[in-house]
Amino acid sequence: MSIAFHERRRFALPDRVARQGGLLLIWLLLLLFVVYPLAMLLQRAVLDDGGLSLGTLIGALKSSSNLRALRNSLELAGLVGVAGTTIGFVFAFTVERLRLGRTLRWLIDRSTFLPLISPPFTTSIAIVFSFGPRGLITHDLLGLQNVKVYGLASTFAAETLTYFPIAYLALRPMLASISNSLEEASFSLGASRWRVFHTVTLPLAMPGLANAFLLLFGCSLADFATPLILAGSDFPVLPTEAYLQITGMFDLRSGAILSLLLLVPAGLVFLAQEWLVAGRSYTTVTGKASAISSRNSASGIAAGCLLLFCAVTCGVIVYFYALLFYASIVQAFGANHTLTLDHYRIIFSEGLPAIKDTMIIALVGMPLGGLYGIAVGYLVGRGKFVGRKAMELVSMLNYALPGTIVGIAYLVAFNDKPLALTGTATILIACYVFRYSPTGIRTTIALLQQIDRSMEEASASLGAGGYYTFRHVMLPLIMPAFFAGLGVVFIRSMTAISATIFLVSINWTLITVKILENMTEVALGPAAAFSVFVIAVVLVVTELLNRALSYLTAPSLRISRIGT
Amino acid sequence: MDATSLGIKLDGVSAIFRHARRGDVTAVRDLQLDIHPGEFLTLLGASGCGKTTVLRMIGGFQKPSAGRVFFGSRDVTKQAANRRDVGFVFQNYALFPHLSVFENVAYGLRVKRLPADEIRLRVEDGLQQVGLAGLSDRMISELSGGQQQRVALARAIVIQPRVLLFDEPLSNLDAQLRVQMRSEIRRLQKELKITAVYVTHDQEEAMAISDRIAIMNAGRIDQIGTAEQLYRRPVSPFVATFLGEANLVRCRIVDVAMDLLTLGIADARWSISTHARGLVGAEVEAVVRPEAIRLSEPQRGFPGQVVSSSYLGSKIEYLVRLGDQMLKVVQSDPTFGARFAEGAEVEVTLPHVGVQLLGEAVHQSP
Repeated sequence: MSIAFHERRRFALPDRVARQGGLLLIWLLLLLFVVYPLAMLLQRAVLDDGGLSLGTLIGALKSSSNLRALRNSLELAGLVGVAGTTIGFVFAFTVERLRLGRTLRWLIDRSTFLPLISPPFTTSIAIVFSFGPRGLITHDLLGLQNVKVYGLASTFAAETLTYFPIAYLALRPMLASISNSLEEASFSLGASRWRVFHTVTLPLAMPGLANAFLLLFGCSLADFATPLILAGSDFPVLPTEAYLQITGMFDLRSGAILSLLLLVPAGLVFLAQEWLVAGRSYTTVTGKASAISSRNSASGIAAGCLLLFCAVTCGVIVYFYALLFYASIVQAFGANHTLTLDHYRIIFSEGLPAIKDTMIIALVGMPLGGLYGIAVGYLVGRGKFVGRKAMELVSMLNYALPGTIVGIAYLVAFNDKPLALTGTATILIACYVFRYSPTGIRTTIALLQQIDRSMEEASASLGAGGYYTFRHVMLPLIMPAFFAGLGVVFIRSMTAISATIFLVSINWTLITVKILENMTEVALGPAAAFSVFVIAVVLVVTELLNRALSYLTAPSLRISRIGT
Repeated sequence: MDATSLGIKLDGVSAIFRHARRGDVTAVRDLQLDIHPGEFLTLLGASGCGKTTVLRMIGGFQKPSAGRVFFGSRDVTKQAANRRDVGFVFQNYALFPHLSVFENVAYGLRVKRLPADEIRLRVEDGLQQVGLAGLSDRMISELSGGQQQRVALARAIVIQPRVLLFDEPLSNLDAQLRVQMRSEIRRLQKELKITAVYVTHDQEEAMAISDRIAIMNAGRIDQIGTAEQLYRRPVSPFVATFLGEANLVRCRIVDVAMDLLTLGIADARWSISTHARGLVGAEVEAVVRPEAIRLSEPQRGFPGQVVSSSYLGSKIEYLVRLGDQMLKVVQSDPTFGARFAEGAEVEVTLPHVGVQLLGEAVHQSP
C-alpha cells in the first residue's frame, strides 16, 4: 500500500509540469503561426515607412476597381450561398425523408463526396472541357462557335457544384434530428404534406439553413482557384485580384490591403455563425431524436421530382469526373482523342518533384495536425485555465479566414529575418496544420462534451493521476477525433491552394500549383492527370484511415453517447 | 479488515457554487456529520437537497467552501480524490466503454502497479463476489444494466478502499432488480466491514439498506438516526412526511398529567401517552401514521366521513374528513374487517401511543 502511494507521488510532479508545459507550447505556436502573421499583415497594410498612414488604405477603399472586386465577391458568394443551400437541402430532404434503397443512398453519398476531396480546379476544368470554345457540349454537340465560358455564370455554377455537398452534410443531421413525432402530430391535426413541410419542417430547419448559407458564403468568398480559372478579366473578385497584385505586379502591399478588404465580410460571416450556433436552441427542444424519421413527407409526384433533381445533379457531377478522367487518357482533348498514357508519364517524370513534395508535406503535416488538434481540443474542452476561450478563438482564426489572407499574412511575416521561412517545407506544413486542424479541435471538443465527467472521476477514485487518466481513459475515447483530424489535414494538404500558392518555391512546390501552371499553359491533359492522381490518393488514404479507425477503436465506442 | 474500518467526520462543511449570473448557490451549509467505522449511512433527501454534494466532498471531487473532512483522525480536506482511497459507485456507472469487464475492474489495480498475477486473482475474486464470474472478456456495451452495475461495484471494491461511496447507484434499474441489488450491496458491505455512505432519494431503499439514515433538506441534515427512530420520532414535519406517510393533525393541548396528555380537536378530546411536555393551550401538530388509525361504525368517538377509498390489494387507502382536516387512513389486509364506501359516516379512532408531537411549544423529553 505504502509503496504504491510513493509511486503515485513520484508521478504527480511531471503531471503538472507536462500540463503547464503543453499549455505554454501551444500558446507559443498559436502566437507564432496565427497571431504574429496577422499582426504583420495589418502592420504592412497600415504602416508606411515606419509611420502610421491610412492614406493607402483609404485610397484602396476609394479605388473603383477594388470596390468592383469586393462587390463581385459578395454577389458571387450570395448567389452560391443561396443556390448551394437550396440544392443541399433538397438532397438532405430526399435522403432523410424519402424511402430510398441502399444503392440510391450509396450513389448519392459517393457522388456528393467527390467534390469534397477534389483539388480545387476539377469542376473548373470539366466546365472548360464541356462549355469552352472547343467544349464537348458547346462545340461538338451544339456546334456553337466562339463561346464565351468565362464570367459570373460559369464561376457560379462551378462553385455551387463544388460546395453544395457541404450544405448537404450540414443539413442532413439537422433534418434527422427533427423528431418524427412533430411531423406526425401535424399530420394527425389534419395538415397536408405541403402544410407540414412549410409550417413544421422548414421553420425547424431554419437555423440549419442559415448556418449552411453562411458556410457556403464563406467558402465562395474565400475561393481562389475557381475564379482564377473561370471568372476571367470581366469579373474580378478579391482573392484573385490580391494574388495578381502580388505575383503579377510584385506589389505585396496592395495585395495585403486587398486581402484586408476580404477580411471584413469574412469576419462578419464568422461572427454570424458563432451567434447562430450559440442561439440555436430549437434542435434540442424537439426532444429525443427518434431512430426512425418520417418517410411519409412527400407525395408520389413530389418525391419523383426530388429524386429526378438529385439524379440530374449527381449525373452532372459524375459526368464531370468521367470527363476529367477521359481527358487525362487522350492525346489532346477536343482535338485528338487517341488513347494514351502520355499525360501520366509527364506527371510522373516532370511532375515527380511536385508529387514527392506534396506527399512529404501531407504525410508530415498529417500526424502533426492530428496531435495538435486533440491537444488543443483537450485543453479547450477540459482544461481550466485563464484564457481558455481566447485559445479556442485564436485556434479557429486561420481556419475561419480566407486562405488568401492567411497566405499573404504568412508571406509578409516569414519573408524576412528573424523568421525567414518562405520557400521551406516548414512554412507549407505549418500553414496546413494551423489552417486545417480546427476540424480535429472541434471534433475533440464535441466528443469531450459527450464524455461524462464521471469517467474522469471514476479514474481518480481508483487512484489514477491526471496523466494516467488522460492516457488510459480520455485518449482512447477521443481517438475518433484524432483520425478525423488526420484525414482533414491530409486531404487539404493534397488539395488546397488558396493560402499555400503564396508560399511555394523552386525547392518546394505542390501538385495543385502544378495543376494551375498546366492550366495557364493550356496543358489540360497533365492537369487532368494530376487531378485524377490526387483524387485517387485521397480516396485510398481516407479509406485506410477509416479502416484503421474501426480497427483501433472498440465497437462500443461507436455509440453516440460515451459514458452514459 | 475490521481494524482498518474508518470513521468519517464532516466538521462545519459548506459548499457554495458561484454562478456568474445567478449569484451564489449554497448547496450544503455548515454541515456536521459523524459516520462510525464500518457503518452503512444513507443520505436521504429530495433532488437538490445537497446530498450528492456531500458525497462528492467525501470522495474528493468537490472542495468544501468551508469546514474540514476527516477520515479517522486524518484531515483529508485538501487531499485529491486519487489519494483518498475511496471506492465510488456512480449513478451512471461511469464504466470505461473502451475496456473489457476485466480491464475495467483491473483499472485501479493497474494504477497501483500490482503484479499481473495478483491483478488477475483479485479481479476474478471481485467478479465472483458480485456474481459475474465468467464474463470478464465481455465489452461493457454487451452487458445489461444490472450487470454493468455489478461491474461498477466490483471495480470499486477490488482496490480494497477504506470507504465506499454510492451515488444513487440503483436509480437506473427496474424495480425488481433494485430490490435484489440493494440487498447484495448490503451483504457485500457487511462482509467487507467497510464504512459506506449511500445517497438516494428512495426512502424504502434507504430504510432497507442502512444502519442509520441522515435526512437532508435544503443543504442541512434535518435528522439522523436509525430507520425506526426516524419513523417513530420525527423531529420535524419534513422528516415526518418524507419518511413514510404521515398525517399532521392540528390540535391543541388541553391538559397535561403525569404521562398523559390530552389534546383537543375542535370539541372532541383525545388522550395520548407520551413523555413530551407542552403548555396548556398551545397549538401543536400530532404525527399520526395512516396505519395507526382505525375506522369503525359510528358510535361515540370522533365522527368522520369517508371521502375516497382505493383498493390496493394488500391494503385499502381511505381519505377521511375529520372536522376541517383530511386524514389518510390505511387499513391492511382488506379481506378481513369492515369496508367503508365513499360517503359513509365512520368513527375515527386515533392511537393513544406512539404519537409524536411537533410544534414550538413542545418540549421533547428523552
